[in-house]
Amino acid sequence: MREAHPTDEWQMKSNLKDDVCYAQPKTLAQRLTIANDFTRRFKYTVPFGVDDMSNAAEAAYSAWPERLYVIDETGRIAYRGGMGPFHYDPKEVRAWLSAKYGEVKHPEKESEKPGGTPAAPVPGAAGTSARADKKS
Amino acid sequence: MPLFWKWAIGIFLFLLVAVFVGLSYMAGSPRDAYGMVRYALPHMHKGTLKVGDDAPDARLLALDGENHFHIRERTGKKPLVLVFGSFT
Repeated sequence: MREAHPTDEWQMKSNLKDDVCYAQPKTLAQRLTIANDFTRRFKYTVPFGVDDMSNAAEAAYSAWPERLYVIDETGRIAYRGGMGPFHYDPKEVRAWLSAKYGEVKHPEKESEKPGGTPAAPVPGAAGTSARADKKS
Repeated sequence: MPLFWKWAIGIFLFLLVAVFVGLSYMAGSPRDAYGMVRYALPHMHKGTLKVGDDAPDARLLALDGENHFHIRERTGKKPLVLVFGSFT
């Protein structure tokens, strides 16, 4: 979706410090470039979706600048996070998921433990997350 | 100009400056306060979605730039976590 702090709008000092400097994309190709830069830089392996230039997903979910949702198996909104940045709380989502579906286990972390065996995926654990910009 | 209007304009300007000073304090600097008002506030919407509503569908582009998928295609078997944000 729309960049929050592009160089040609409200760029912050942290953008310079972290070397995250992009102009507001005017085309889908530019958005795609930023999205790919993000996933490469952070080795982001979770499925990723880019919103089109009409910002349809952003508008439908009132998502700008950042927001978290959980959609349950019936296709309904089960959790709606607060508006970022101040009310954007991944820990709250994790706690919510743990309370509803049980503690989330990461198979790769389990296997790193001495003598540990890979944990089976927890049924109903968080599935794919489509990130727009972080989902661009 | 009648005295009443002078006072009214003066109070209005004072309130404007006070709001800007407050925003500058909150945002960190006058430049950030301007940025917040000019670029952020027009795009921040509380929205009407609530827990229990049907999740809106939207068509997204995959990172390869060629394939598309719908949000609703990823629902059904497991809960889906949507993380909305931008790189900057």
